[in-house]
Amino acid sequence: MEFTREIYWNVGHGAGTLVPMYLLVIAAIAVVVKTFLQRREVYRQGLPLNRTDQLGSRISEMLSNVLLQKKVTRVKVPGMFHGLFFWGFFLLLIGTTLIVLQADFTDLLFGYKFLKGNFYKLFSITLDLAGIVAIVMLGALFVRRYFMRPEGLETKKDDAIMHGLMTVILLTGFVIEGARMAVTELGGPVATWSPVGHLVAQSIAWMGEDTLRLVHKLTWWFHLLLVMGFIVLIPFTKFRHILTTSANYIFADRGPRGKLTSLDLENEDAETFGATSIQEMTWKDIFDADACTLCKRCQDRCPAWSTGKPLSPMKVVNQIGEVAFNTPEANLIDTISRDVLWSCTTCRACQEICPASIEHVNKIVELRRSMVLMEGEFPGDEVMTAMEATEVNGNPLGIGYASRGDWAEALGIKTLAEDPQVDILYFVGCYASFDKRNIAIAKSFVKLCQAAGIKVGILGKEEKCCGEPMRKMGNEYLYQSLAMENVELINGYGVKKIVTTCPHCYNTLEKDYRDFELAAEVETYTVFLEKLLHSGKLKVRSEGLSCTYHDSCYLGRHNDIYDAPRALIKAAGGTITEMEKSRSEGFCCSAGGGRILAEEKIGERINVKRVNMAVETGANVLVSNCPFCLTMFEDGVKGAEVEDKLKPKDIAELLAERL
Amino acid sequence: MKILVCIKQVPDMESKFKVAANGTWYDNQDLAWRMNEYDEYAVEQAVRLKEQVKDADLTVLCIGSDKVKETMKKALAMGCDRGAHIADDSSWDKEPFQIAGIITEYARDKSFDVIFTGMQSQDRGSGQVGVLVAEMLGLPSVSTIVDFAFADGAIEAKRELEGGIRANVKVQLPALVTCQLGLNTPRYPTLPNIMKAKKKELLSIPVQELLKVDARLETEKMFFPEKKGGGLVLEGEAGELADRLISILKNKTSVLK
Repeated sequence: MEFTREIYWNVGHGAGTLVPMYLLVIAAIAVVVKTFLQRREVYRQGLPLNRTDQLGSRISEMLSNVLLQKKVTRVKVPGMFHGLFFWGFFLLLIGTTLIVLQADFTDLLFGYKFLKGNFYKLFSITLDLAGIVAIVMLGALFVRRYFMRPEGLETKKDDAIMHGLMTVILLTGFVIEGARMAVTELGGPVATWSPVGHLVAQSIAWMGEDTLRLVHKLTWWFHLLLVMGFIVLIPFTKFRHILTTSANYIFADRGPRGKLTSLDLENEDAETFGATSIQEMTWKDIFDADACTLCKRCQDRCPAWSTGKPLSPMKVVNQIGEVAFNTPEANLIDTISRDVLWSCTTCRACQEICPASIEHVNKIVELRRSMVLMEGEFPGDEVMTAMEATEVNGNPLGIGYASRGDWAEALGIKTLAEDPQVDILYFVGCYASFDKRNIAIAKSFVKLCQAAGIKVGILGKEEKCCGEPMRKMGNEYLYQSLAMENVELINGYGVKKIVTTCPHCYNTLEKDYRDFELAAEVETYTVFLEKLLHSGKLKVRSEGLSCTYHDSCYLGRHNDIYDAPRALIKAAGGTITEMEKSRSEGFCCSAGGGRILAEEKIGERINVKRVNMAVETGANVLVSNCPFCLTMFEDGVKGAEVEDKLKPKDIAELLAERL
Repeated sequence: MKILVCIKQVPDMESKFKVAANGTWYDNQDLAWRMNEYDEYAVEQAVRLKEQVKDADLTVLCIGSDKVKETMKKALAMGCDRGAHIADDSSWDKEPFQIAGIITEYARDKSFDVIFTGMQSQDRGSGQVGVLVAEMLGLPSVSTIVDFAFADGAIEAKRELEGGIRANVKVQLPALVTCQLGLNTPRYPTLPNIMKAKKKELLSIPVQELLKVDARLETEKMFFPEKKGGGLVLEGEAGELADRLISILKNKTSVLK
C-alpha cells in the first residue's frame, strides 16, 4: 500500500481543468500587479528616501517578522491568534504549492512524484492540522472582533469580507478533502493521516459516491474561485497588509533610534521647510498607511490618547494615507488638526509596539516643523516665550546664561575653560542647571563621581540647551544653531567622554549631534555609574527602600537602557515594585516632544495619571532617571494629592544619600 | 507709505548686572542681549501696518555698536524692509535728547508718514526718546498706545492711563506713536523670512554725521539700591488695617493692578 493520493482526483488533470485554472491564476495575479503599480504612483507623490540600503539585514528583519511573527506576537493573546492563523494558512499555502509543483511540473515533465510514503504522511497530517488551527484561530479572532469588541478597534466592511472569505475557503477545503476521502480512503490506512478530513468523510459518506463526486467537483471549482477572489482582493482590502506590511519590515527605519533627519537650512533654493502637503512627506510616509492593519496597539499605548487628547497615532498615519489617495491637494495640518499634532510627547510607545514597523513620530515632527518654521506657530504663547528665552539665554527657563554653572560653586569642580584636563565632561542640561528641584540631581551626580575618584568638568556658562525640546517642537532652526555652538565648543576642548543626567540630552548628543560631527563618546549617568559600581570604584551603602521605578522614554524605548538603572536601585538597597506599564511599555511622564515647554490644556493630566499608577504599587518613592520626569512627578504628586504618600526622586539622589 | 521703527538693543533683564568701573552705567560682561521689549511691539505694529496698506516701505533704525545688527536682523526677519544702523560704540553714554537728536537728523529729509518707537527702554527707561523725536520733527505724537488702527490717513489709537483707564486718540498722519505692553503679540520670525533678512539692506551710518545736538543731562552715578530690612508691621483696627494694606499693595506692588 503506497501512502499517497491522486492529485486532481475527480476534477481531472486535462486541459479542461488546467487551462481555465491557470488562466484564472494569471488573471488574478495580473490584477494584483496592476493595482499595486497604480498604488506605487500614489506612493511616488512623496519625496525620495533611501530604504533599500543594508538590504541583507532588511530582508532578514522581514523574514523574522513575517515567518516568526515576532512583532505581532508581542501582544500575547490577539498576537498568538494571528500568529497561529498565519502559520496555519502559510502551511496550507506551502502544501498547495507542493501539489502544484508535483502535479504540474515534476510529475508532468519528469514523471517524478514526491508526495508519497512517509513524506506524504507528514504532509497530510500537517496540512490537516494547519487547516483546523487556522479555522479555530479565525473563530477566536471573529469572537474577539464581533462579540468582545475591544475598545477602539474599528470594524469595517473589509473585516467582514476577510473573515467570511477566509472561513469559507478553509471550510470548503475540508469539504473537498472529506468528499474525496469518503469515496477513496474510508476504511483504508491513509485516512488516519488526515484526521479532520476523515471526520468530515465519515459524516458525509451516506450521500453515496455519485453525489459525493458531484459535491466534490462543484466545491473544488467553488474553492478555486474563492481563492482567486482572495488574491484579487489583496490590493483592494486590508488583505493588502500581507504584502505591504511584509514590505514595510524591509523599508523600516534602521536607526539610530529616535534620531531625526537634519534639515538642510543652508539650501538657498528651498522654499518650504517641514511638510504641509503630501508632496512634502516621503513616499514611506504614504506607504506606512498602506502597511497599517488598524490593530490600534499604538492608540492603546499613546499617553495623549489615553488622557482624552485627540491624538491617535493610528489615525494620523491613516489620515496621511487618505490624503495621498483621495485628496492629494489637501493641507495635511488642517486635515489632521493642530491640537492632534501638538499633543504628541514623542514617547515612541506607538512605534515600539507597532507590528507593522510604521514610523509615527517623525511624521508628526515633520508637520510641526512646517507650523513653526513656515508660520511661526506654537501650541501656546508660553512655548514661543520659551523659544525666545532659549535664543537669548540658551535655556528655555529664561534665566541669565551667566548663572548656568552657579549650582556647582561649592562642589569644587571647574569648567573646561578653567581646566580642560578631565576624565569626563558632565553635560548638565538646562533643568539640572537652573531648576531648583533638579539642581539636586546635578549635585548628587558630581558627589558620586568625586567619591569614585572621577575628575569631572562642566562647561558652565558656555553650555547651551542641547536643543531637544525645541527640535521636537519643530524648531529645527533654533535646534541647529544650539547644536552647532555646543559641538564646536565641545570638540574645541578635545573632550573624550561626555556623561549626561538627562536622557533628552543623551539621545540628542549621542545620535542627533553626530550630524554636526560631535567627536566624544556619550554615556548616560545610569550606565556610567553602574560600571563604577561594578568595578568597585564607587561604593554605596545598601539601605532598605520600597520604591517603584519609572522608565523614561528616552532611556527606555529610545535606548533600551532598562537594567542599569534597576541595578543601581538594587545596589542602593531598593526593592522595586514594578508598575504595570514598565520597561518598553512604560507610560510617558508628559514632558517629551518639547511638551515640557507647553501647558497641557486638553484632557486629563498625563503626569497625574502616571503618578497614580505609581501610587497603586504601594511604594512610597517614585524613582526616575530624568529631570523632565522628576519635574512632572513633583507636579503630579501635588495634582494627585499624594504628596504625603509618594516622593519622587532621581536615581542620583538615591545613591548620593547612601555614600 | 514710508514707515520708520526705532529699536534699541538691551540686556536681558534676567542677566547678572554689575555696575561698570566708570560708575555711570552697567558692566557689559556676562550679559545676554535682545530687542527692547516695547520696541518689539513697535516692530510688530509697524509690520502689521505695512501688511495692511501693502504699498509701504519700512525702515528699522538702531543706534549702537556692530553688535546691535543681530537685533536689527530680527526686526528685518519680522518684516522690516531695510535697516539703518547708526554706528556708535558709546551710544550707552548718550542721554535721551542726543538719541532723539540723532534719530531726528536721520529722519528729517525722509518724510516718514508714521514713526513707531517703544514706550521706553528696559535699561535706561527714560521714556523720552519717542516724544522728543516727534517734537524735534514737529510731528504729533501719541504715547503708550495699547491699540492701533489705521484708516483714511489717520491713526486711531488707545492710550493706557493710570489705573487701567484708556483714552481714545485720533491723529492725522504724519505722526509718531510709542508702544506699550498689550498692544500686540510680536510674531515669531519664520525661517524663510530669517533667510531673506540676511540679504536685506543694512547700512551703517557713522553717528558723527547725525549727532548735531549737545547733551543736557549727565549721569552722575549708577548704583544698586541699598538693601533695607524687608518687614513692615502694621498695627491697629482690623478695618483700618485692611485699608492700609490695600493701599500699600496698590501703591508699592503690582498685585492689584
